[in-house]
Amino acid sequence: MESLVQSIANGLMMGFIYVLVALGLSLVFSIMRIVQFAHGEIYMLGAYGVYFLCVKLGVPVFAAFVISAIVLALVGIVLERFFFRPFRGDVENSIIVSIGLILLLQTVASVFFGAQGKYIPEFLPGIMSIGSIRLPWERMLAVFAGITITILLFIFIRKTKTGQAMVAVSQDRDGAALQGINVNHISAISMAIGCALAAMAGALMGAIFQIDPAMGGFAMEKGIAVIILGGLGSIVGAVAGGIIIGLIDGIVPVFASTTIAYIIGFALIIIILIIRPKGLLGYE
Amino acid sequence: MRMLETKGLTKHFKGLRALNNIALSVGANEIVGVIGPNGSGKTTLFNLITGFLKPTSGEVVFESKHITGKGPHAIAQLGIARTFQLDRLFHEFTVLQNVAVASRLHSRIGFWEAVFNMPDYRTKYHDTWDYAQKILQFVGLDDKRDVMARNLSHGHQKMLGVAIALSANPKLLLLDEPCAGMNPKELNLALELISKIKERGISVVLIEHNMKAVMNVCSRIVVLNFGTEIANGSPDEVQKNEDVIQAYLGVTRHAA
Amino acid sequence: MKLGRIVSYIVLVIVFFLMPLLLRHNAYYLHVFILCGINVIMAISLRAITTTGQISFGHAGFMSVGAYTSALLVMKLGLSTYAALILGAAAAMAVAAAIAYPITRVRTIYLAMLTLFFGELIRLVFTEWRGLTGGTSGIIGIPPLGTISIPGLATIDFSTKLPYSFFILVLALITILFFYGIERSYVGMTFKSIAQDESLAASIGTNVANFKALVFCISCFFAGLAGGFYAHYNAVLAPDTFGLFPSLYILVYVIVGGRRKFAGAIIGAIVLTLIPEVFRVVKEYQPFVFVALLFLVIFLLRGGLVTLPEQVKIQMEKIHVRKNENA
Repeated sequence: MESLVQSIANGLMMGFIYVLVALGLSLVFSIMRIVQFAHGEIYMLGAYGVYFLCVKLGVPVFAAFVISAIVLALVGIVLERFFFRPFRGDVENSIIVSIGLILLLQTVASVFFGAQGKYIPEFLPGIMSIGSIRLPWERMLAVFAGITITILLFIFIRKTKTGQAMVAVSQDRDGAALQGINVNHISAISMAIGCALAAMAGALMGAIFQIDPAMGGFAMEKGIAVIILGGLGSIVGAVAGGIIIGLIDGIVPVFASTTIAYIIGFALIIIILIIRPKGLLGYE
Repeated sequence: MRMLETKGLTKHFKGLRALNNIALSVGANEIVGVIGPNGSGKTTLFNLITGFLKPTSGEVVFESKHITGKGPHAIAQLGIARTFQLDRLFHEFTVLQNVAVASRLHSRIGFWEAVFNMPDYRTKYHDTWDYAQKILQFVGLDDKRDVMARNLSHGHQKMLGVAIALSANPKLLLLDEPCAGMNPKELNLALELISKIKERGISVVLIEHNMKAVMNVCSRIVVLNFGTEIANGSPDEVQKNEDVIQAYLGVTRHAA
Repeated sequence: MKLGRIVSYIVLVIVFFLMPLLLRHNAYYLHVFILCGINVIMAISLRAITTTGQISFGHAGFMSVGAYTSALLVMKLGLSTYAALILGAAAAMAVAAAIAYPITRVRTIYLAMLTLFFGELIRLVFTEWRGLTGGTSGIIGIPPLGTISIPGLATIDFSTKLPYSFFILVLALITILFFYGIERSYVGMTFKSIAQDESLAASIGTNVANFKALVFCISCFFAGLAGGFYAHYNAVLAPDTFGLFPSLYILVYVIVGGRRKFAGAIIGAIVLTLIPEVFRVVKEYQPFVFVALLFLVIFLLRGGLVTLPEQVKIQMEKIHVRKNENA
């Protein structure tokens, strides 16, 4: 029984990291209309950014976290401008660009940092225990960060002019342009925010588990799974989806194995894609 | 038994009653017109008959067979073909290729015989291109056969749409605004074509806004307004029908 | 087809059949040749799926089904390797058939994700099913292809790479002829009509779902065939060989080669298999070369490598015109 509660707790903690990845991905997708497959690599670079700044340069962990997110936001803007914008509307070549970026970024990380796993120090070391349930502070931080960032994002989109402009572009790109919204700026901003979210998720994840150049693929798959489950373009959906997938990944391994947890997750997504591709709460 | 009959055909969308209890009837060798203001449900009617939409209630009976709810390809196989209001063409193909690929119901080329290039297939394949050419000649597009479909003029694209539907060897042809956007010359050619089609023994149901076209060519006209049938009769009768005039023509006319 | 064309194709085939002989003293070159052959089969079959407007991000997954099935049928049931090859391909087709129909209604972006997850699902299942597949360690000691004895002529013994080179060449040729035959036939035209406008195709009697599902299954059959060959050639199988990246690479071969023309898939597979091997200089930096080539092609040649001759011609004409203007 206790292991069940522990696994639920674990699952929830993982789930919020998935939510962060999914939010970034969803943002990029609804504004730029591409599935940015290299999103996972940004996540990976976010983790390595903290590693480089903190472990190699001695920058305090929290500052490293922020700097890494900002740097990757800028990288995102460059990528949007030079790699994605030229191929807007060209589905096939957009896919190739994404695949190319995955390879490029992963190889860059491999070459720079080596293919072996690395560790970044925890932001909040230590474990809180409630009874025999162990809640590491680091993981709680991930939950807290996930919730906070989601709320901030929600407010940003609902309350600010830029946020509203983003909604407009996601619903009707041409219509938004006719209303005087600079669609290119909005694309750049979304990409920046999306990449910052990914970088933060990667850094949080990296503090919990090992980091290696291939960690992006895992994030990408979870991110897409969450979006499918919760629905594209829906913040609430991303949270719901992340929690569900997190719970599956937390609970199933107790009874079966991690691989089976992933199999169930994937099978679920496949069925949803067939029956209701827009996801549980999605719209487009 | 009439060739096509719909009974109580109704279609609701979320909160919108697009079509209400429609009883359409088309006989052999008839040209029936369907008119009505924009949004009166004309294209929805076509979509229901040809299987692109499923009715909320009601039935469609074609040659004594219930075809309600069947998919578009099955209905085409039974002998009903259609054109689309917003032009649908195979833009990456030439005019001739468009018609040839659409002639599959005529050629009856099977999947595996084509894949393995059997002798039967080769004859059928050859024959398909001849058939396609004849269709183009019938429609008057033969001289444009090697032009890419996307490079045709608007009027010609509409004719190609009709040619594509004809290649499916239909007994009943549903034309959705075939004359839209045509100049007078093109219009006359279109009307000639529709008459020729009737002479071939194919029944036609025609959605059109162009009143001259409809009154000239149709033996019977059905008028829809807000999804309901408000009149059904000969062109003369419909023209004099008060409800029709109110709803559609918007002008009260005094007896001429 | 014109006589000139047929002759040039025959010459091309002869050249390809001579290559293994020329390379026979270099096991590494033969290996690369064989890899090209496998990738050509995968690329052509994937391209066939795209002719109806569908896409697959999990093609390598079906290859793995063929690989594992063929290996296990030989090792656990003692079947002949050739029977196992065919059955392996059939198994891949059966797995494809499980999702072929439902996915015909799914739109492209979602189909991409769906096939991605399905390919991963296959890999995870093979990883988890330790009893059968050896889990992450995989299977080792897969028997080579069986000896073929043509009485009076020769005995072909698959103990070196040379016979494998010829065998993959034959398989690739069969694949090319099969799919090219479809491409130029009425069925090929029908596929393209479906890719252009499904509603229009349906309105003239095309059973769109049938066609899409059928081409998907047939394509996966060939992927399974390539997989079975790989299993017996490589003698070792692991689930990670067939993960997401191989599927993405095959897609890259098809698109970068040029999706519009049939030859694009072949050219893409060969060029993109060769270049990384040619530049096997520093192993770590090798992906950079692949990526550079990739970006070079898509930024400069929107239609893919196969449009290179056209583009060169256009550029030459431009230069010619400019020269005339300046004269």
